[in-house]
This record gives sequence, C-alpha cells and structure tokens, in this order.
Amino acid sequence: MKAGWVIPIDWTTFGPATFVASGALLALGADLIIPHRSGRTVRWLASGIPSAAGIGGALVALHRTRVGGDVWTAHGFSVVILAVAALVVVGSVLLIGENAMPLGEFQFLLGSSAAGGLVMVGASDLVTLVVGIELLALPSIALVGLRRGDRRAISTAWTFFLTSVVSSAIAVMGIALIYGLTGTLSYSDLHTDLANDPRPAVAVAVVLTVIGLLFKIGSVPFHTWVPDAYRGASPVVTAFLSSVSKVATLGALVWLLVIGLGSAESSWWPAVAFVAAVTMTLGNVGALRQYDGVAVLAWSSIAQAGFLLVPLGPIVAGDWRFFSAPLQYVAVYALANVVGFLALAVVLKVRGSTTYGDLEGLARTDPWVGLPLAFAVLTLAGFPPAIVGLVTKYIVFQPVVSEGPMWLAIVMAINVMLGLAYYLRLVAVLFVAAPSAHRSIDAPLAVRFATIVVVVGGLALAALSLWPGPLLDDLTVHLTGS
Amino acid sequence: MIAASLGAFGIAAVLLWIAPRAFAGRRAAELGVIASLVSLVELARIPTGRPGALWAEVDHSWIAPLAVRFHVGVDEVSWPLALLTAILTLACCVWLWQSETSPGLVALVMVIAAASIGVFVAQDLLLFFIFFELALIPMWFVVARWGDPGLSGDQARRAATKFLLFTVTGSALLLVGIVIVGLQARSLQIGDVRGTQSLAAAILIALGLAVKVPLVPLHTWLPDAHSKAPTVGSVLLAGIFLKLGTYGLIRLNVQMLPASTHRLVPWLAVVGVVGIIWAGLACLAQDDLKRLVAYSSIGHMGFVALALATMSRTGVLAAVFGSVAHGLITGLLFFLAGSLKERYGTSSLNDLGRGLYGRTPWRAVAILVTGLATIGLPGLAGFWGEFLTLRAAYEPASLLPQRLSVSLMVVATVGIVLATAYVVRFARLLLQGVPTRLDLDRDLVRREGIVIIGLLIPIVALGLFPTLITALGPQIGYAP
Repeated sequence: MKAGWVIPIDWTTFGPATFVASGALLALGADLIIPHRSGRTVRWLASGIPSAAGIGGALVALHRTRVGGDVWTAHGFSVVILAVAALVVVGSVLLIGENAMPLGEFQFLLGSSAAGGLVMVGASDLVTLVVGIELLALPSIALVGLRRGDRRAISTAWTFFLTSVVSSAIAVMGIALIYGLTGTLSYSDLHTDLANDPRPAVAVAVVLTVIGLLFKIGSVPFHTWVPDAYRGASPVVTAFLSSVSKVATLGALVWLLVIGLGSAESSWWPAVAFVAAVTMTLGNVGALRQYDGVAVLAWSSIAQAGFLLVPLGPIVAGDWRFFSAPLQYVAVYALANVVGFLALAVVLKVRGSTTYGDLEGLARTDPWVGLPLAFAVLTLAGFPPAIVGLVTKYIVFQPVVSEGPMWLAIVMAINVMLGLAYYLRLVAVLFVAAPSAHRSIDAPLAVRFATIVVVVGGLALAALSLWPGPLLDDLTVHLTGS
Repeated sequence: MIAASLGAFGIAAVLLWIAPRAFAGRRAAELGVIASLVSLVELARIPTGRPGALWAEVDHSWIAPLAVRFHVGVDEVSWPLALLTAILTLACCVWLWQSETSPGLVALVMVIAAASIGVFVAQDLLLFFIFFELALIPMWFVVARWGDPGLSGDQARRAATKFLLFTVTGSALLLVGIVIVGLQARSLQIGDVRGTQSLAAAILIALGLAVKVPLVPLHTWLPDAHSKAPTVGSVLLAGIFLKLGTYGLIRLNVQMLPASTHRLVPWLAVVGVVGIIWAGLACLAQDDLKRLVAYSSIGHMGFVALALATMSRTGVLAAVFGSVAHGLITGLLFFLAGSLKERYGTSSLNDLGRGLYGRTPWRAVAILVTGLATIGLPGLAGFWGEFLTLRAAYEPASLLPQRLSVSLMVVATVGIVLATAYVVRFARLLLQGVPTRLDLDRDLVRREGIVIIGLLIPIVALGLFPTLITALGPQIGYAP
C-alpha cells in the first residue's frame, strides 16, 4: 500500500454511513418541499421519517456485513452509534414545541454527524479518519448553535468551533508528520513501520495526533467547551453530542492507538494515562459543585471520558483479553447518558428548569420520567440496583488492574467514590418528599411521546441489569486473526 | 430456601412500594412481620450440613462473559448471621407496629434485610459486592428521612451522607481488590479462589471492609449515624451492617486469602485492641445514650477483629459468636435507647433524669439486663464472644507473634473493665437515685415488651447453651 496514494473505498465501512447520510439529505429535502403552512408536527414527521429510515437501513447493512465475520469491523461501535442516533431522532419529538429550532436542519445535521461517527470508527487509514472527524465535528457545532436568535447558543457554538479547529489542526499536523516520517497512512502499515522506529520525532507526531482526538472525547485540557456546549444546546442535542461523539472518538482511538500506533505504545500511553487520570478527577470535582441536572451530567460526561481512555494502554500491553472493554463500557455509558439527557429534556419542558429545586421528588410525582432518570444516573455511577453499570465498571477496572499502572487503578477507585457522591445526591433529590407546588401538569402529546422513549430506555437498562450477559456477549470483539 | 427467604423480603418491598395506601401504618408493619417470619422459617429450615461444605447451595450461570454466577449457599459462618438478620428484621417490624409508621420505611427495611442476607449467602465475589452496595441507598434514606433532624434541621442528612461517603470509599477499594482476585484466580467463586497470594488484594479488601466494621481510625461515621438514625435504623446499622464488615473479613480475608492476610493480622489485632480501649474511654464521656451505645459497638467490633486476627479455629468461632451476640445485645440496647428517645424526645442522660427504677421499673430492668449482657456477664450471650476471643488470643495460630497476642489480650481485658465502668456509670445516672418524675413517664408498651422479650430469649439461650453455635462447626477455620 505504501506505493500508492489510492485509498480503496471499503463498502463495509462506508455502506452504513452512506445510508445515514442519504437519510439526512432526504430529511433536508423533505423539509424544503413541505409547504410553509404545515404545522411543526408534520414537519417533524417529514424530516424524521427519512432520517430514521436511513439509520434503519444502516443497521440492516451492518447486520449483513457481520455475517461475513470480518476481522477489523468496527461493528459494535457502529451499532452503538446508530442505536443512540435512533433514540435521539425519536426523542427529538420534544423539539416540536421549540419554535426556534428548525427541524429539517436538525435532522440533517444529526444524520451527517452520525455518518461522520460511523466513518471514524470504520477508518483504517489516517485520511479517512480526518474526514470522519470533520464530518462528525462540523455538524455538531452547527447543532449547538442551531436555535434561532439564541445568543448564548451562538456564543457556545463559537467556543466549540474554535477549540475544535485548534485540535483538528494539531491532529492534522501530527498526521502529516507521521506521513512524512513513515510514508504511509494505513494503520496496518504503520503498525509494522513504527515498531522499530526509535526517532523522537515519531513520538512527537504520535502524541500530536492523539491530542487531536482527545479533544473530541472531551478530555483535559480540552474539556472546557463541554459544560458550556452541553448547557447552551437543547438537552436533546446534548444527549446526542455527549454520546455519539464519545462513542465515535473512542472507537477511532481503539483502532488508531491499538492497531495503527500499537507499536508506539510507549510514546502515547503515559500521556494518555495521565490525561485520563486528570480528566476523571477534574470532571468529578467539577460535577460536585453543580446543582443542576444538565450541568451535573455534563461534568460527569467529562469524568466518564477519563474512564473511557483507561483501558487503551493495557489492551496493547496485555494480551487481547481486554479488547472489548472500551466498547462494552461506552455502550452502557451511551445508553444511560441518552436516557438521562432525554429525561432531563422532558423535565425542562414540564418544569421549565432542571435545577435541583425543580427536580425534587420527581421520582414520586412523575415516576415515568423520574425513575428512568434515577436508574440512568445509578448506571453512570455503577451502583446497584443498576447492576449493568457496576458490571461495566468492573470491566473497565480489569485491564488496569491486570496490566497496571497500579496508581491509575487507585485514582479510578477514588473517582468512583467522588462520582458516587454527586450521582447519589442527584438520586436522593429525585426521591425526597416533593413540595406540593411541583404537581406535574398535563403534558402535551409530544412530551408524552418523549416520555415513552425515556421509559423504554429505562426499561432497557433495567433488563440489562438483570441479564447483562447477552449484551456483553454481543459486544465482545472477536479477533479471528491479526 | 435461600431464594425464598430473599424473595419474601423482595415481594413485601415491592407490595409496599406499589401500593403504599393499602399498607399504611400498622398494616405495613404486619406485612413486614409476615415477610420476616417467612424468611426466618425458610432460613431455619436449612438442614445443617457438613462443616466446610455449602448448605442449600444454588448455583446458576448469570453473566457468562465475566463468569459471574448466581451462586448462593450458607455454611457454619454465614448461617448464624443470616438468621440474626432475619430475627432483627422481625424485631424491627414488630417495633414499627404503630399507626404512624410509613410504608416507605418498612419497604426500605425489607430491602436492607434482603441485601444483607444476600451478602451472607453470596458465594460469588461480584454478587457479594452487588448485595454489599445494594443496602446503602436504602440506609441513607432511613437515616436521612426518618432520623432525628437535630436543632439545625439537617443533622440527620449530614450524618447519613457522612456514613454513605465513608462506606462507598471503602467499597471502591473493595471493588479493586475483587478485580485483582478475579484476575489472579481466574474465577470469582469464593470457594475456588482460596489460596490466592496477592498482598495488594488483601490490603484493599481489608481496608474496604474495615470502614464498615468499623475499625479505628475509620470509625468516625458511626457515632453520628447511630445517634441521628431512627430506632430501627440504629438497630439495623449496629446489628446487621457492622456484621457485613466482620463477615467480609472472615470470608474474604481470613478464609479466601489466608496467605496474604497473614501479613496483615498483627495490624488488624493492634487496631482492634486500640478500638476496644478508645471506645471504652469514649463511652465514659458520653452524655447521649445512643452515642454511648454506638461507641460501645466499636469496642465490641474491636474484640471481633482481635479474634479474627488470630486466624485460628477458635478465633473464627469467637468472631462469629461475638458478631451474633453483639447483633442481639446491641440491637436490643438500641431498641431500649430508642424507646427512651421516642418517649422523651431526647437520649441525653442528663435530660432523661434519674431513678428509672422508681419511674418505669420494667424498662429499667430491661436496660440493666442488657447492660450486663454488654459487659459480658456469664450466662448471657456476650460472655462467650469475649471469652473465646481472649482464649484465641492466648493461643494464636503461628502467624500472630504470641508475645504480641498475649499483650493484646491483657490490654483487651482492660477494655472489659472499661465496659463495666461505663455500664455502671449509666446505670447509676439513669436507673438509680432519687426519681425525677417527668410527665411523659410511661412504662413499656406491648410491642416494646414483645421485642425485648423476643431478643432476650436468644441472648439467654446462647449464654446458657453456647453449643447452639459452637456445635455447628467444630471445623470452623480457614482450611475447608
């Protein structure tokens, strides 16, 4: 492959992404041809159905490729991205009530971004990776600033844009250096080329590339955009951002670091381990000071990013036993996060705010929203009865404990405790005796529909807590050759 | 049978949760009593088998990719503790037989009981951990919501949060320890793991459990939580929660990781004895009766830690006996202290006034008898726990230096003297003297009497017939 510039298009990678992107384009087109007079519900249906169809088509396409038993498929990560995107597309019913939010554009941007995520996790060379990153990031930025006339949304989108551009520039710089040093862009060639390359420039190039990706996952020192963007955007958008961009970035990181740069592990793992430790600690400490549901989940998602990064080094250092750990952890995280943010989106509609004062007693007055929210928070905390969260915490501890460093395992343990401090506080708020002023009002149809989505998500988490086995089995990456 | 005893609590909790109106006040407590009785009978029905083997074992595949199994069973160590849990839960439900009882409180008590029995019967490390954690949030609510808010209004909440944060810190360390064990032994079944030599795992697990026991200096959550908790909360905390810690130390450290626990036992023994003395001195200075009983718990747990640290057969036997006896006696003391607090609104010895003999004779006698049981009066259950501990410390297994062990034994004996001193002190302050009659004076009501007699029976029975426990396991020890 070194000889040519030609990068073959691998349809097992691009097939699903194409479906999703086509669905997104159709959604935009449908929104254009719909007459101006028609109501927002019709508009939502007109743009949502093509979007959902695209996601469905992608799932079917993925399922077909799976039958072949391909080795390097990013199957699991893609399924998680699509599942999250589907939940958000259905949950976007809440946006019908938000007149400032253009629905067609929303579906288009969401679809494009999801397609970018699919490309990222399927990439097996650095150019495809960069294309995927940009395809994911640029629509996300637009999503954040999409609400018409919302100055705060625009300013957060602007911050998001600047940090995104800077980190992309760093990553591209690193990739250029790698190409200059090795003359190849494909992961498998890099693996062999970097194995015997002691040049310090290689380390610099690798670290620069990794830094660019760390931004997308929301880790230190690029975490500052996260709370801003998550709180500035609609919670429906936040549900998408906080899950899909993390799943996609992690998927990309697993393939890039473990396969592409696996032989240069000694140059990136100390940096990544350090960043992971600082990220989880800063995220948790930040969350401890928040008294607003959305803000807590936003900061907690920074902390979770730290946990996501932790297994990467041990995968390379150890045998391949732990290869599935990042996927299994991020899948459960993404589901819980989406359920949490969608529930908060419903609360925002019904009660007008998600501060702790307004969340008090939610599980008693509105159990259909409050209980799934509580369960999602417990899953993020990894605390029974949300056993699935505890099990994935166990899974993410395993690699570090096995391969070290031990200090990282201790930092993780301390962070589990820090996390519990605010997650359990939120759960306690949801269950305290509610002041009578907070009777739930009659909700419009859209909110009820969204509530159903939340309930289904909550039930899924509960079912997974009773039988985590099948999910973990499905998300086990089978490496039939390497 | 184990599944039925867990299920009884589970069904009761669900019924109370979904239909709180149908089970208001006394009805909730009655449902709790039925569930506890079913559970107690199911546990008592378990035929005692060969020591060292599992009785009433149930083993199902659960989370196959991680080799986690739903594996439960009891043996000579866990069976008495599971029974203790059912008995104390039954007592709590009888105690709650009042018109103002909230169904929510009974439901939480059910969850706590089920989770605690789950810990005692779990034979899979992850299952153990899940049950270990499951009881925490309910306990937080019991203390925070039904506790004594104090003068500033949020003291119960603060105490509950302090308890929760201490415990989850311990749990996080415990989880890391379990991960290490699981990776090294390539199995999560407690029975398979025996013999793994990881010092790090033993330290982490012991630290995590020490918070729960609690061992000095990790005990600071306990007096606050106990003194602010409602009566049943204190009883469950002292009677059951602390046992989760001691049981964990027996099962996971002494029995599962003996090789690496050897290197910890001198520390464990010293910390335990420091706890005995520290708690004894602290008790002498307490004015609040519930705080006093809370500190006395730390002392008793110190004895159990010393017994464990000998790592001998007698030591493990002493630890089990001490745990059961402490659960019954301290549980009863908290019921009595709680009855005073519920009646007079305070548990301060100063405010309660003197001369309880003259004012409420039955209550006074009950307090005296339980106080004597706390000291370890021969003929009552407390005696055997302490006696066996001192015996074990005199003849430790070769792992604990004998000179250290015997010195510690002597110091621990001083702890018994201190215990006598503080019991005599509160007997003098509260029971004797010229009666200061208060308007609220009223002797024991029926439900209080039932609970007191119900708990005194096993205390006396175990005191007179220690073989009830000792006969279970002549083989109690770490070599199955």
